[in-house]
Amino acid sequence: MSNVWLPCGDYHENYAKDQGWWQSRVIKGKMILVLALMFIGIPLLAPDYWLSVATMVGYTAMGALGVQLLIGYTGLITLGHAAFIAVGAYTSTLLVLQFPWPPFFVHWGLAYPISIAAAGIVAGLWSVLFGLPCVKVKGFYLILTTMAAQFITVDFILTQYVSQIGGRGQAFSLPPGTIKIGPWVVDSDFEVYYLMAILLALMVIMLANLLRSRVGRAWVAIRDNDIAAEALGINIVWYKLLAFFVAGFMAGIAGAFWVSNTAALSPEHFPWFWSLWLVGVILIGGVGSIHGTIFGSIFMVVIMELLQMLAIPLADYYPKLLIDFAFIKDMAFGLAICAFLIYEPNGLAYRWWQVKNYFNLWPFSY
Amino acid sequence: MKKSILLSFIVLFLAGIFLVGFNSMAVAKDIRIGGIMDTTGATSDVGKDYAIGMDEAFKYINEQGGVNGKKIKYTWFDYGYRIPEAITKYKLLKRLRSTVIMGWGTGDTEALSPTINKDKIPYVSASYSAHLTDPAKARYNLFFSSDYSTNARAAITAWFDKKWPTKPDYGKRKPRFACCYMFASPYCSAPIKAIKDQAKMLGFEVGPDQDVSLFALDTKSQIMALKEFKPDLVWHGNTTMSVSATIRDAYALGLGADWIINNWGFDENLPRLAGAAAEGVMGATPCAFFGQASKNMDVVVASAKKYDPGIPMDKRLIRTVQAWGDALITWEALKRADKAGDLSGPGIMTKGFETMRNFDIGLKASPITFTATDHRPATGCLIQEWKDGKFQPVEHVDLKARWPEKWAKEWLGW
Amino acid sequence: MELFLMTLTTGILVGGIYALVALGWVLIYKCSGVLNLAMGELTLIGAYVTYAFYEMHIPFIIAVVLTLFVGVILGFLTERIFLDKLIGEPILSVIMVTVGLSFFFKGGIEFLFGTDTRVFTPPVFALKPISVGFLKISPVYLWSFILSIVLLIILVCFFKYTRWGLSMQATADDETAALSLGVSARFVYAAAWAIAFMSAGVGGALLGNINGINISVGYLGLLVLPAVVLGGLNSVPGAIVGGIIIGVLQNLSGAYLDRYFPGGVKQIMPFAFMAVFLLFKPYGLWGWERIERV
Repeated sequence: MSNVWLPCGDYHENYAKDQGWWQSRVIKGKMILVLALMFIGIPLLAPDYWLSVATMVGYTAMGALGVQLLIGYTGLITLGHAAFIAVGAYTSTLLVLQFPWPPFFVHWGLAYPISIAAAGIVAGLWSVLFGLPCVKVKGFYLILTTMAAQFITVDFILTQYVSQIGGRGQAFSLPPGTIKIGPWVVDSDFEVYYLMAILLALMVIMLANLLRSRVGRAWVAIRDNDIAAEALGINIVWYKLLAFFVAGFMAGIAGAFWVSNTAALSPEHFPWFWSLWLVGVILIGGVGSIHGTIFGSIFMVVIMELLQMLAIPLADYYPKLLIDFAFIKDMAFGLAICAFLIYEPNGLAYRWWQVKNYFNLWPFSY
Repeated sequence: MKKSILLSFIVLFLAGIFLVGFNSMAVAKDIRIGGIMDTTGATSDVGKDYAIGMDEAFKYINEQGGVNGKKIKYTWFDYGYRIPEAITKYKLLKRLRSTVIMGWGTGDTEALSPTINKDKIPYVSASYSAHLTDPAKARYNLFFSSDYSTNARAAITAWFDKKWPTKPDYGKRKPRFACCYMFASPYCSAPIKAIKDQAKMLGFEVGPDQDVSLFALDTKSQIMALKEFKPDLVWHGNTTMSVSATIRDAYALGLGADWIINNWGFDENLPRLAGAAAEGVMGATPCAFFGQASKNMDVVVASAKKYDPGIPMDKRLIRTVQAWGDALITWEALKRADKAGDLSGPGIMTKGFETMRNFDIGLKASPITFTATDHRPATGCLIQEWKDGKFQPVEHVDLKARWPEKWAKEWLGW
Repeated sequence: MELFLMTLTTGILVGGIYALVALGWVLIYKCSGVLNLAMGELTLIGAYVTYAFYEMHIPFIIAVVLTLFVGVILGFLTERIFLDKLIGEPILSVIMVTVGLSFFFKGGIEFLFGTDTRVFTPPVFALKPISVGFLKISPVYLWSFILSIVLLIILVCFFKYTRWGLSMQATADDETAALSLGVSARFVYAAAWAIAFMSAGVGGALLGNINGINISVGYLGLLVLPAVVLGGLNSVPGAIVGGIIIGVLQNLSGAYLDRYFPGGVKQIMPFAFMAVFLLFKPYGLWGWERIERV
């Protein structure tokens, strides 16, 4: 008998259903609930501050998706992703502020959406530029090249040249009202959250689609054994560069989004620490899965917020806690990474998969 | 089995923290003031003392009866000199319903300026950037001290008045001037345009700028590049840490120039860190040094002893006094606004701060005046130097008195 | 000309310190294959530990020796607690554990000591420079260089002539063969980390003398990575030469190139140079080449 409720007992009757995104009614229901929560539940129910925390989670997830693609799906270890996010952010800001838009564009509010797309493309191309030496080297040298990308891009090119454009000194500040999408001004936390949700959903769909296709399979093949992949006829140089481009594209969009969140920009927003944070996020969440990225982001951001909340009442007794909280955060981050890598090397996604299987196989779960 | 007990315990614990965090723990009649401080980041060498001083000031204010009887609840967070953190903490403080915010760094204050203008929350910063003094652009930004550009102009004028005539080449050629600062930092680069303008006006020959990071420990290559230009006077715009490193290197390499330093680089730590190299170094001082005899200094010292007995007195800096400066003007403004019955943001601004005319807070600070068109609290600055083991005044330069036209018309806002 | 010679000398002298730290890094990599991104923080720990001992009025040289001991203990502990469990895990995990360690150490040091710059008072070396011909050399640099060379020689002799050193070399060469001969791999790993802590610690103490200790000393430790890439990941003489080259490169670029760019060349030059260098010689000057042509 066909049972379309649980995955372990379903039988599809045509190819379309078999290839479907959501393969059983339970999964469909679950996903609709998640989408409802994301688009309707949280913005309406969450208090102001937690809304901005949710936006932060979304931003982390957007940045981490690119890193996940490179590390988890293509096997290219990257420690310089914040640089590409920075490139995207600066492209978007400069286009919105400096480019002489004809009045038609300004009137219809097309400047910012175009700048998001442009930011993605420029960041993707920049990523490919640094990817070129990367396809020649492997392993550790790759890490160093991406680190070099991070330092050269953020600490040098952006700080010294790009942020000086327009004579603003170091920090760009976008006056309220410059960020418009169509007739809709993105100004308050509420609107920023919606922008984040839409962009994140689009990026996840894009990445998931790519991974299901031929390109995704090529990437996974490169990750698993690139020499064998080459032997099978996959052009690994092309696919590696494509991976860099797509990761850079997603980073660019994340950067363009970041601009609307903070309405101000300076190179200090994208330190090397942030690149390491993103890698930490996907390691904790689980390398090689998209929901791992989301879990990792939620976990890291929420835990840090909770730690902060904990520090407030304790600060009356131990003022040093509040003064040195950033250091405690650093230590906690370091310990969290070490603990996860030692005890939970497959990340939260693996635990989630185990929990899911427990329910899927019930009552025969073990 | 054991794992699930542990798991449920962790979940309950986290839920507990969640609930605790939502509790605002303040009585309804309290006035809430938020603080965004740097105690762990790039400027924490001066930020930590400032944060502690601010905390003590508000404790003292509450003991004196607060604002006409209402207590002040002061909640502050460290943001580590990272602007995204500052923005997050600002949102948190807004959620905690703060009426006034005590801020810190130039980068984040300038970045938050449009937002606080929209939210109409007075923001009293430790950044004295001149970009914040024009109410047309930054209606809700304030601070008690003379701004950086005023400091810079006053410093170079003081050297020109008092030190240049004593040099052997006086009268024979133009004096040479260069700047050292961290290009990437908004705080450091804020007064550069103004000081170069003043240098041109006074007849200096201006040389290339040198990039010295706030973290710098080794500045030898910058000093060697400076040596090619052979400056007579160098301006340093950073905080004490990197300033002391630069001065030591200059001494070791024999640069032979005089130094003028922005106020955040000139404090009691400088001679400690730079040793013999700090002799003769001049700097802008917005108020008295910690413990220097002046009105209200006894209160500052007593509060420091009372609330933070664990920190030795000789480690306290002028930064505590600067924090008191900002706290005292906030207190006065809140008192005035409360008497007029309006404790909203715009009310505190128009009926509190902007009614101040030559308000004297003591502590050797210049009397403070805010108007609706000009948020520059002081018209000049006292320049002091470190000589023979103590700080000695060089000159108090009053820019408005010397260049009244330019002060009123040209120099506002940069 | 004077500028060039001065920067060259300073570069070589500072490069000696980088070489010492780079040596520790290469050691860990050769013996256990761990790519250690926490080198900066090990330098930092050494600097602060020496400072702490110096503040207790212990003479500088003895403080350095005590730092060596503390480094050995910390190295053993780190290896046992964190890295033992990761033998055999993929490379990314190991690197990220070292990254996690670096955050942990950095946070811990900042928590314990704060971010203020600490200076060795009374100064260990005189501030006034010594004149050698027309060059002005600070005694700090000179003595640091001498000390690094002495330590390097000691370490190289350790490897060549003592039993422990030889067993470490054996493990680096071929771990299974060494195991079959009775060399304890765990001991070798622990010893590698201990020596790395030691060398980084002394390097940090010496660097700290130059202008004071604060968190930046950790960033200087990060420069060790281009140094080892230049010299080749597996090569001890490569690490030494790489360190000196990086020191010279940094100072020369700071002095000469800073005027063409708005600034900040000094920090990124080693990385930029390394990126370009990797395009031509991906295995460094002396590294083992693994031919994988696709």
